[in-house]
Amino acid sequence: MNTLCRAEKATDTPQKGFHTIALRLPLRLADILFISAMVLAALPGKRTMAFEYRGYLMGLLGLIELLYWLHQTMHKEPVRKKSSGDIAAVMFTGIIVWELMTSHLDLLQHLLFPVPGKVVAVFISELPVFARCLVSSLGLLGAGYLLALITAIPLALIIGWRKRLFAAVNPLTKVLGPIPPIVYIPYAIVILPTFKCASIFIIFIGAFWPIFIGTLNATFNVDRHLIDSARVLNVSEKTMLFEIILPGIMPAIISGATLGLVFSFILLTAAEMIGASSGLGWYVKYFSDFADYPRVVAGILFIGCVVTAITGCFERVERRLLSWKN
Amino acid sequence: MEKIRLDNVSFAYSQQKSMIPVISGVDLSVAAGEFVTIIGPSGCGKSTILSLLSGLNSPSEGDILIDGEAIRGTGTERGVVFQHYSLFPWMSARKNIIFGLRQLKPRRSHKELAEITDRYLSLVGLDDVGDKYPNQLSGGMQQRVAIARAFAMDSDILLMDEPFSAVDAKNKMGLQGLLLDLWNSGPRKKTVVFITHDVDEAILLSDRIVVMSACTKGIKEIIRVNFNRPRNRSALIKTPEYAAMRHMLINLLFDDLIEEVAV
Repeated sequence: MNTLCRAEKATDTPQKGFHTIALRLPLRLADILFISAMVLAALPGKRTMAFEYRGYLMGLLGLIELLYWLHQTMHKEPVRKKSSGDIAAVMFTGIIVWELMTSHLDLLQHLLFPVPGKVVAVFISELPVFARCLVSSLGLLGAGYLLALITAIPLALIIGWRKRLFAAVNPLTKVLGPIPPIVYIPYAIVILPTFKCASIFIIFIGAFWPIFIGTLNATFNVDRHLIDSARVLNVSEKTMLFEIILPGIMPAIISGATLGLVFSFILLTAAEMIGASSGLGWYVKYFSDFADYPRVVAGILFIGCVVTAITGCFERVERRLLSWKN
Repeated sequence: MEKIRLDNVSFAYSQQKSMIPVISGVDLSVAAGEFVTIIGPSGCGKSTILSLLSGLNSPSEGDILIDGEAIRGTGTERGVVFQHYSLFPWMSARKNIIFGLRQLKPRRSHKELAEITDRYLSLVGLDDVGDKYPNQLSGGMQQRVAIARAFAMDSDILLMDEPFSAVDAKNKMGLQGLLLDLWNSGPRKKTVVFITHDVDEAILLSDRIVVMSACTKGIKEIIRVNFNRPRNRSALIKTPEYAAMRHMLINLLFDDLIEEVAV
């Protein structure tokens, strides 16, 4: 961290003296790591396979560097520039370590730890398969998660608003809420007609409780001033629930919904690993049964990309819904 | 003509099986179009009176009558402005007013309501900030929006709970002037019940000042303020009558404190 700061500082304010060329050129830590990684990739290592796939690895490194440079030129704020540089540096460091441990020093088991270039090559060749898996996974995820959203939020609003209903339901949520949804999987597969139904049900359960409990407690503890301000305008009960309390507790609903999304993703992959014949979780499980670990690692990385993309979209929706806060 | 009547009103809340009295045996009559200020030390129950008048709470004993009829809950014939929180933070200033109007006139078109809203926003001098959210506005501007909504809804009665307490001195004067202008300008005057702890504010605004006693004893004294309207603040402050009234009010308010200290 210390060296990182120093390198940043030195490039921001060009200094005279004996500093190296690297610091005088507009090079940052990420660039230096990029060059090191490229050199490392170009050098022949102990594993011959790494040398075969070095083009793929260099392509990946080049892509990260390109994205980093684009980000640097597009954004003006120093804070964001710095953080994107740090992220790129961490990625390059990770790849360098991986490359060193596998192809150059050959410290790790060949079969279990593929070289990075191979994984990149597999990732690219498997993209059509990934796309098919993604469609099938998103279908399940979307159905289960949306079902949870449209049932949990209105139910929690109504129950949280009626004190007597709340008193009756709240103990129940304390018992049912903390049950890990994974334990329902075998039972759901037995009682529901198809695997698809069972998966949707499991994802629904996983997403439902965080959203329901978050919304329920926020409704019950909603700011009295807000309620009073609405009551003196003589609003109807429907207006109170959906035009005052719903937007008023939106921050709590969103944090419940975020938690629900994380749970539903975990459950999606868990459910697919058990009985599916397509999907992202199925892919990873299927190829680990064949000990095809390059595919397994590529699949895991692809799931990472998908989760990042989904949470990115979610954050956008959140910013839009809570734009009044700032 | 009598608009509001409090008939032997008491209010107590329950806490751990016992009832804690807040006010007891309050009698008060407010005429239509009258501006009445309730002043008193903190904890004397002045805000409780306002919450009973607005219908947010119901009296434990006694009745509150408006136009001769006992009130049940809140009603659109009573507009309320709180010290904070009158506005909904996720609605722009304009939407806050439109929302209020829609509760009153659900059948009117959006365009009609927007026209009323714009008229009142410009009356309070906020034409160009209508699309801002409340927390993008200063405390004084937020109160202007709340006042604009109350007047746009055109209720007969306006209940204000220390509306200018959290506003700085300069903005406070502006808001007091604005309130009096709006109160004077309509086709018929609204009946205003205004809670404050500021003696000068009470004298400047009111037809009558109700002084509350500390510790649930209810109304201590009602003082009529006979200065001619429209009142000019700087001229009024210089008159000996003003000084005398101010002195009397402060004595009334401090009496209780001295008693409390003696006990």
